[in-house]
Amino acid sequence: MSTVEEIVQGKGKFVDDVVLPGMQHMAVVRSNYSRGRIVKLKGGYTFKDFPAYMASVGEGATEGEKGLIEPVLADKYVNYIGEPMAVVLGKDRYDAEDRTEDVEVEIEPLPPMMDPEKSLDSPPVYPFMKSNVYRKVVLGSDFRTDNFEIEIEGHFNNRRVATDPIETRGIVASYEKDLLTVWISTQSVHSIREGLAEILNMPQEKIRVIQADTGGAFGLKGGVYPEYALAAFLAIKTGKPVKWIENRHEHLMASRPGRGTSAYMKLYANKNGKILGMKGKVIVDSGAYSGGSGEFAARFVGMQMTGPYKIDNAYVEAYPVYTNKVVQGPYRGAGRPEAHFFIERMIDMLADKLKMDPVEVRLMNTVDKAFKSPLGMDVPPAKTFLEDAINKLSYRKLLKDKPGFAFFVLVPAFQPGETARVKIENGEVKVWLGGDAHGQRHDLFVKTLVNEGLGIDRNLVHLQLGDTAMLKDGIGSWGSRSAMVGGMAVHEACKKIKQAFTAKHGIYSSTALLQEGADEYVHWRGEGSMDSLGCNLVTCEVNSRGQVKVKECSAYYDVGRALTPEVVRGQIAGGMAQGIGQTLYEEIMYSEDGQLLTASIADAGVPIANQLPEYKVFLADTRSNLAIGAKGVGESPTIGVPIALSRAIENVTGVKIYETPIKQELLISTAKH
Amino acid sequence: MSTNKIRVTVNNKVYEKEIDSRTLLVDFIREKLGLTGTHVGCDTTNCGACTVLLDGKPVKSCTVLAVQANGKTITTIEGLSHGKELHPLQKAFIDKNGLQCGYCTAGMIMMAHWIIRKNPEATRDEIREAISGNICRCTGYDSIVDSIQEASREMIPEEEEDLVTRQRGR
Repeated sequence: MSTVEEIVQGKGKFVDDVVLPGMQHMAVVRSNYSRGRIVKLKGGYTFKDFPAYMASVGEGATEGEKGLIEPVLADKYVNYIGEPMAVVLGKDRYDAEDRTEDVEVEIEPLPPMMDPEKSLDSPPVYPFMKSNVYRKVVLGSDFRTDNFEIEIEGHFNNRRVATDPIETRGIVASYEKDLLTVWISTQSVHSIREGLAEILNMPQEKIRVIQADTGGAFGLKGGVYPEYALAAFLAIKTGKPVKWIENRHEHLMASRPGRGTSAYMKLYANKNGKILGMKGKVIVDSGAYSGGSGEFAARFVGMQMTGPYKIDNAYVEAYPVYTNKVVQGPYRGAGRPEAHFFIERMIDMLADKLKMDPVEVRLMNTVDKAFKSPLGMDVPPAKTFLEDAINKLSYRKLLKDKPGFAFFVLVPAFQPGETARVKIENGEVKVWLGGDAHGQRHDLFVKTLVNEGLGIDRNLVHLQLGDTAMLKDGIGSWGSRSAMVGGMAVHEACKKIKQAFTAKHGIYSSTALLQEGADEYVHWRGEGSMDSLGCNLVTCEVNSRGQVKVKECSAYYDVGRALTPEVVRGQIAGGMAQGIGQTLYEEIMYSEDGQLLTASIADAGVPIANQLPEYKVFLADTRSNLAIGAKGVGESPTIGVPIALSRAIENVTGVKIYETPIKQELLISTAKH
Repeated sequence: MSTNKIRVTVNNKVYEKEIDSRTLLVDFIREKLGLTGTHVGCDTTNCGACTVLLDGKPVKSCTVLAVQANGKTITTIEGLSHGKELHPLQKAFIDKNGLQCGYCTAGMIMMAHWIIRKNPEATRDEIREAISGNICRCTGYDSIVDSIQEASREMIPEEEEDLVTRQRGR
């Protein structure tokens, strides 16, 4: 992997920097309609040339319902705008894009299903389905509500958001002597290999996937996409390397966006503010094909919908539904922000109903003992943490500024652990991780852990880019997991190396080990879960034009032992920016007739520097029970900030907030500074 | 396809090339000159990942034609470091964690170079305003503002002016 010194000098090697002799460039002809019948499709490579279907791999991938799996290239019908219909090759990108003009396309438009809640109650789009629901999920047990003093309800929505890393998707594929080699911008080379093998019907041993320096991902780059399979297919078919680099417009149409989840919530309590029950109905805007993360999200969102609170009765029905949009995918947080937005908004509204301080309602419903929620989430002891957070974030001191406050459980992707390989050769240590870094500076925690485990100088330890030829298997870098589970795999590998060396020589010497060398692979897997807690506080001003200026934006998170504190801080700051983005600016929008309204990164609302505040980060220094002491962190800020900011806006304007992004027009002339 | 011959000075080196008239400056720099430190992020002049200095001024090279640079001086991220020694901006971005994935960094640093030359005393708010055409999805920007402020204390404006304009008019 390129070092940070190389990156700042422009010497990084991102996938678009990969150039192979004879390389061709691929361009994709995409559907201009959200739904339609293909009347004519002539030219380029089409479904007839490559009648293959997508595989489900990576974060949140599900088996998928048969008959609803996405074809790599549209077959007879198109079901979302941006859906690949044909591909062409050219000698460079200009030439390839010119050649898309030679493909003749005629589509008979059909009425698209754009609204997920309407889809839930409509007759099935596909005649062979009973409804537009991919699969119904039920969590907890239904309960009687006639004895509860207080009942409140709300209907909430987190609209779809593009992941929008500044580097879009991209791949270079080459086929030589029976071996397919791909260079790719990714969070998981092993998921890419598995996905390509399945789609191309090739053995995994015939595919090598090498990670390029990866320019951000945020969930986007964990799984396999049609374009990857197409580049690989064309490299095999033509015998010449193929490059495909997504442009931003393609990204906004055809890369899987996150969020897109709404809920009908009911909360039952007594007059003192003690919560007695929660009922929820979750609707996930899953998109036009099965096997994306929407089906996973339904259960995952549902599971977290009591938040960190001790609520004895809980019942959730969750529905991933068909819409004529690109398949939903994970975006940093991936179900966690949605679930907590729903319950935390309800907590604030309960406080309003009872004229209580929202933080007091939170305290009243929190306990200092770990428990499993009725929906299946492991909740850590929460009350003391919450009290500490209220103090650390100066909640009471800031009351005059009308702060919003958020409290949540971070459920990291602790299972199924992670792999690592530690290889000592020629006086240096090379490390491969099963989860591929894409901006989180995994190289630093790897240096720390190898130094601690083997006493080897940090400068001799080098994390490598993902490469299936160098590490036999692996999971992926997502779900707030890498330092925790990847770190444990490195720790275990070092322990094994040290033990073996000591057993052989009777005494351990790092100098002698560096000379002798070693090579150890570990798949580390822990027991159960590793959930942790976090709180955010936000204050803001809203002007008469409805523009929101975030003032105080602070976090108090239990990250366990911060292996690299400055990196943890950076993760939190960047995540808070994304939380603000989701709350105020970001959305992938379509018109009712299915045209994409957000065609540039500016339309999609990615926040810029003068829209964002300075951040305050406080870390709870409580080691986990893992040998390395770490817990998760990456997604925490995307959970807490939308909640706290929504409440702050509500406090300042008096406008009830039910969805993100909060439209500026909703806030016009409501403001009291 | 019409072509043009252009002569440009890039990072202190003169290039004469025959190019397709429609070639974008960023593609000229990346594909024809092999200087891949400059990146493409959005194609629509929004994100600034492709920012280079054209006669000392920042431009988004994804929406400038290479022919428009004919006879001019271009500075890219590769032209900032003096041999093995990092430029103060490059050093500050490392020291202050001004990058995570590093994809926007080249454009951000080139923009920062211009900001500091024009306003060495820029406040945090002025820096935020000035980099509002450069999008970073990773950091949340505060560490980028830190980095630029840090570098501004090390940079000597006259030297920097010289660095980006010394080839002009040759």
